[in-house]
Amino acid sequence: MRYVVGYTANGRGGDAVNLAVALARRQGAALDLVMVMPEDSPYNGVYPPAAGFENILAQQVGQWLEEGLALIPSDVVATAHVVRGESEASALIEAAKDLHASALIIGASSTGLFKRFTVGSVASALLHASAVPVVLAPAGYSRTEPITRLTCAVGSREGAEQVLMVGLTTARRRGLPLRLVSLVALGNDDGGTTVEDASKHLHGLVDASAALDAGLLEKLDIEVVVGSGRTIEDAVDGLHWKKGEILIIGSSRLAQGKSIFLGSTANRILRALPVPMIVVPRDYAGTADDLLQTSQVPVVDAAGPSSVAPTSEVKEAGK
Amino acid sequence: MSSRDTVRNATGDHGLSEKGLKAGSVGLIGAVVIGISCIAPAYTLTAALGPTVSEVGVHLPAIFLVGFIPMLLVALGYRELNNAMPDAGTSFTWASRAFGPWLGWMGGWGLIAATIIVLSNLAAVAVDFFYLMLAQIFSNPGLADLTRILPLNIATTLVFIAGACWISYRGMETTKSFQYILVAFQLLVLGWFAIAAFAHVANGTAFDATTISADWFNPFAVESFSQFAAGVSLSIFIFWGWDVTLTMNEETKNPKKTPGRAATVTIVVIVLIYMTVSLATLSFAGIGTTGLGAGNPENQNSIFAVLAGPVMGPFAILMSLAILSSSAASLQSTFVSPARTLLSMGHYQALPKSFGKISPTYKSPGYATIVAAIAAAAFYIVTRTLSENALWDTITALGMMICFYYGITALACVWYFRAEAFHGAKNFVFKFLAPLVGGVILLVMFFKTAYDSMDPAYGSGSNIGGLGLVFILGCGVLLLGVVLMFIMYKRSPEFFKGQVLSRASQPYNP
Repeated sequence: MRYVVGYTANGRGGDAVNLAVALARRQGAALDLVMVMPEDSPYNGVYPPAAGFENILAQQVGQWLEEGLALIPSDVVATAHVVRGESEASALIEAAKDLHASALIIGASSTGLFKRFTVGSVASALLHASAVPVVLAPAGYSRTEPITRLTCAVGSREGAEQVLMVGLTTARRRGLPLRLVSLVALGNDDGGTTVEDASKHLHGLVDASAALDAGLLEKLDIEVVVGSGRTIEDAVDGLHWKKGEILIIGSSRLAQGKSIFLGSTANRILRALPVPMIVVPRDYAGTADDLLQTSQVPVVDAAGPSSVAPTSEVKEAGK
Repeated sequence: MSSRDTVRNATGDHGLSEKGLKAGSVGLIGAVVIGISCIAPAYTLTAALGPTVSEVGVHLPAIFLVGFIPMLLVALGYRELNNAMPDAGTSFTWASRAFGPWLGWMGGWGLIAATIIVLSNLAAVAVDFFYLMLAQIFSNPGLADLTRILPLNIATTLVFIAGACWISYRGMETTKSFQYILVAFQLLVLGWFAIAAFAHVANGTAFDATTISADWFNPFAVESFSQFAAGVSLSIFIFWGWDVTLTMNEETKNPKKTPGRAATVTIVVIVLIYMTVSLATLSFAGIGTTGLGAGNPENQNSIFAVLAGPVMGPFAILMSLAILSSSAASLQSTFVSPARTLLSMGHYQALPKSFGKISPTYKSPGYATIVAAIAAAAFYIVTRTLSENALWDTITALGMMICFYYGITALACVWYFRAEAFHGAKNFVFKFLAPLVGGVILLVMFFKTAYDSMDPAYGSGSNIGGLGLVFILGCGVLLLGVVLMFIMYKRSPEFFKGQVLSRASQPYNP
C-alpha cells in the first residue's frame, strides 16, 4: 500500500509528512513524496520572455524534495517524485492515480491565524475532486507515532452508512478503538433534530448496518457520542479529542460518483478540528479493497455503545 | 503511471524530462494572439501616440514604420540567443556570457529598469481609464478628474500595482480564452475608433479635418535628427512585445514554421492597426496645439482619454474598457519578467541571495516579485511628484531604456556568435549583420536621446535645476544601477570575478 504526500517546502509540508509517517507506520505503507512543478501557460504572455526559470525552479524543487525525504525516518519507505500540472490539485490527483495510492495526504494551509484548519486553495480543490481519500494534517501536526483512535462523523443523511462502513472496517483492520460521533448544532433549526434523535439514529445505524455482521461489532471497541453546541464548530470543540486520534468523514451528496465533495457541515467541522481528518470519496467503501485489506488481528475490547449526556448549556439552548 | 509526467529517479535527482510549457499547444492564431497581447496595442497607442506626435508631428506614420526596423533586427539576434542559452536572466545572462560580468550586470539592470518603468506606466494608464470609465458609467465627468488629485491618484495606482503583484506572486495564469477575448476586443475597439474618426472627417464634423498626404510617410521629412531619434526610440516601445512570437518554440504546434508565420501575421495586423489609428487620429484632430489637436501637450499624456469621447460618442466607454483591461492584464503579466531576471541575478550571486528565493507555496520568485512591485511603486511616486506630465516622461524614459538593453543584447549576440558569423549566409545575417546593425542603431538612438533629454524643455518640459526630467529619470536609473553594481561587487565579488557565470562564446561546430 502506498500513500501520496503532497509536499510543500514549508510547515504545511512538514505536517503532511509527519501525519503520513504516523499512518504508514501502522500499515507498513510506503510513502510517495510528490511535488508539483507548475506548467506555464503560453497564453500568460510573459514579456520579455524568460525561458530559463524552469531550470532554477527544477533545481530548487529537487533540493526541497531532498529536505522532505530527510524528514522521513528510516523505518518508513519513501520515494520522491516531481510531477507537472496546470494546477497543483489536479497534478496531485493524477499522481495518486498513476501511483495507485490509497490516500492523498496534505497539510492544511498554515496561513490561518485562529483556526487549526484553514483550508488553502490546493486542499480545497482536492477536497472537491479527489477520487482517493484525502487526509488533512492540521497546522503544526508533529506526531509521528501511529494513530491510536478512530472517530467517525456520521450524519443523518444518505451516505452515512458508507462512512460508518469505512470506519468499522478500518478500526477492525488497524485494531483501533472506534468512536462514532454525530454533531448537532442546536442554534439552527435543522429539521428539528434533537440530541436524542441523533443519538437514536447513531444506535440505529450501528444496529442496522447490513454490511457488517453483529459478531464483528461486538469484537470492536465502539463508543457512540453526540457532540452538540450552538454551532457545529462549538460541537466539535466540545468533544474530547485524543492526540493520536483521526476523524473519518464522508463526502457530500453533491460529489460526482466516486469522488470527494466536502459538504458545508464537513467544512465547518474542519475549521474547528484539532486532529487529522480523512475525507472518504462517495461510494468509496464498495471499491476500497486497498484501504480495507486486513492483515492484523483486531484488538478486542468489548464495551457497549455509550452516550454522552448533553451539557447544561446545550440543554438550555435546546429547550 | 505515465513516465512522461511522473519521473522517479535516484536520490538527488528528481529531474524533469521536458520543459514546463505545454508542448505543441499553440497554433498560428494562438501565437498571433499572444504576440498582440504582449504588444497591448490599445495601451501602447494611448501612451505613445501623443509623445510621438509632439516630436515628429504628421510624420507619425513614417516614424512608426521606421521604428520597426531596428526592432526586427534586434529581435532576430534575441531569438538566436534564446535558442542557444534559454535562461531566466535573458539579457543579463547573455551579456554576462559575451562581455563579462560588468556589462552583463548593466544589461540585466537595463531590462529590469525598462520593465519597472513600464509597470508604473501601465498602472497609471489603467488608473486614468478606471476613473474615466467610472465617469462614463455614472455620466458624471467629475469622476474622471479624480485621477488628477495627486494623493488619490498615487493611492489608486499603488492598489493596482499591489493587486497585480499579488496575482503574479500567487502564480496565477491567464487562460487562452481570456487572452483571445482581450485581444479581439482591443482590435475591435481600435477599428471602431478609426472608422468613427474617418466618418467625422467625411461628414465635416471632425475637430480639425486634415487631409492625408504622402509626405506623412516620409521619414526623411522629419525636421531634425534629434526628433527622428526621439521618435524612433518611442516607436521601439510601440513594437516592444512583438518579438515574443519569435521566441516561441516547443509550445507551438509546428516549431519550425509557426513562430515565423506568427511573427509575420502579428506585425501585419499591428502595422495595419497602428497606421489606421494614427492616420485617423491625425485626420480627425490635426496636430494643432489647442483643443483636441494631437499637438496639444494637454492631450499627449493619453490621447484616447481625450479623443475617444468626441470620436466615439457614448461608445467611448468601450475604449476605456479596452485600455483598462489590456493595461491591467499586461500589468500582471509584465511582473513575471523583472521578477525572473532578478531571481536569476540572485541565483548567479549578482544580487543578494534573497532575490533567488522561490515561494514554496506558489513556486514563483516571491521575493523578487515583491521587490519589483516596490520599485515600480517608488518609481511612480517619484515621477508623479516631480513631473508635470508623468505618463509622457515615463514613456520617453522607457523608450531610452529599451534602446539601452536591447542594444547591449544585440551586440552580445554578435560577440557570442562571432566564431560562426562568417560561416554561411544564414549565420551571417541572423547572428551577425542583423543584430549588429540593429544594436548600433539602438545604441545611437539611446545616446542621442539621452544627450537631448538634458534640455529642460525635453519631453513634457519638466526639469530639476535646468536638467530635463527625462534625462534624470533615464540616466538616474542607469546610474543607480552602476552604484548598486559596485555595492554588490564589494559585498560578494565572486560574480564580478567571473567565478559564477564565466565568459563564453559559441564555438564554430558545423
